[in-house]
Amino acid sequence: MFPTLHIGPLSLPTAGVMYILGAYAALTAIERAAGYLRQDAGRLYNLAGLSLLAGFVGARLTFVVIYWPAFRNDLLGIVWPLNSGYDLMGGLVVALVAGFFYGRFHQLNPWPTLDALVPGVLVGLLAVSLADFLGGPGFGELTNMPWGITQFSVRRHPVQIYEILAALLALGSWWYLHQDRLFDGQLFLLSTALYSGGRLITDAFRENAWLSANGIHLLQVICLALMLLSLYLLTQRAETVNSKQ
Amino acid sequence: MKAHLEQHILLGLLAVLGVTWIWYSQEPMDDPLGFGLTEAPIVGHLAPDFTLSVVGSDDATVTLSELTSRNGGDVPVVLNFWASWCGPCRLETPHFQELSLTYQDQVAILGINQGESAATIADFGVSFGLTYPLLYDADNGVNEAYEVFNLPTTIFIDRYGVVREVYVGAISQAVLQERINRLVKE
Repeated sequence: MFPTLHIGPLSLPTAGVMYILGAYAALTAIERAAGYLRQDAGRLYNLAGLSLLAGFVGARLTFVVIYWPAFRNDLLGIVWPLNSGYDLMGGLVVALVAGFFYGRFHQLNPWPTLDALVPGVLVGLLAVSLADFLGGPGFGELTNMPWGITQFSVRRHPVQIYEILAALLALGSWWYLHQDRLFDGQLFLLSTALYSGGRLITDAFRENAWLSANGIHLLQVICLALMLLSLYLLTQRAETVNSKQ
Repeated sequence: MKAHLEQHILLGLLAVLGVTWIWYSQEPMDDPLGFGLTEAPIVGHLAPDFTLSVVGSDDATVTLSELTSRNGGDVPVVLNFWASWCGPCRLETPHFQELSLTYQDQVAILGINQGESAATIADFGVSFGLTYPLLYDADNGVNEAYEVFNLPTTIFIDRYGVVREVYVGAISQAVLQERINRLVKE
């Protein structure tokens, strides 16, 4: 739709701008959520900020290691330009490891911490979907539905809007339950189950999906596993809390 | 105990529903182009087809669809839109040249000029020692079809003729290599 934003002589990539705004919004959401749950907002903000930074650096360094021959004669290229050249999986692993060790070092209780982190993660995912929607890299499959988006004379499912709705549903459940939660971890597990369930449904309409050799949408498989695991843990934790009482 | 059983039945039911939905959403793989693809310069769509003349050769032309499986070919294509006055274009041009040699016969790298004369394009090719085809878009029709508003812009097209990425701005050698690697391995 709008791959670049034109502001005077400047042309900015819409997706990049959305990612930066999304990171800021996610950190703010975590800080607020920690306040609502009466947790140490500063410490959780630092945990999320450190994970984000570690993920960014980790994604870049993983990419540099994989493509070292291209950087060997251009060491400056490691730090500039930064508009691309990241390995998502490497970044994710480094971010999780950094967050884990920060939590261990400061002896953060995992379940309440995850409860406070989940709104930030959802806001971040929402920003990614919005960036994808505004940047316009491929909407969904063909549709006759009135809410379809017409692009190049054909109407398509606005899959990114469906994803945003799934994130809003999960965020809404968090907000609705946060004052009356029955046990630590309930908000995290329920939000994860709802968002995974939403993506399980919506990814069916994506045309540029990540597919297996026999055409299965791989993201749907991951979402189904996440949803079932979250629901199972939700029931287990509820039982544990009930038996203790 | 009864509540425990009910929970397990509910989870089992959700698992069955989920697997059924995944199976129902499965894409037919006998048609690699997918269902309902239309030509558009955006990710997930068929790359708009064109035929352009190659600068520096008498009658040689390049037709995009003949390189991909849309019309008998079987290689991914990288379109690099450039102009000689564009600084970032000049920075990235050596990367295209080097990788066009590294991936010779595995990928087609095409340089498409924006709005300059054939003589300017030829001079640019000589000064950078380029061996990949530089195409002359006389009426800027291909630039318009691909909606190229910023230079440089690089478009990655898979072997089926589907746009996989639209990259705006100068691209580093490592990123270019990673993208080409991915296309070649598919």
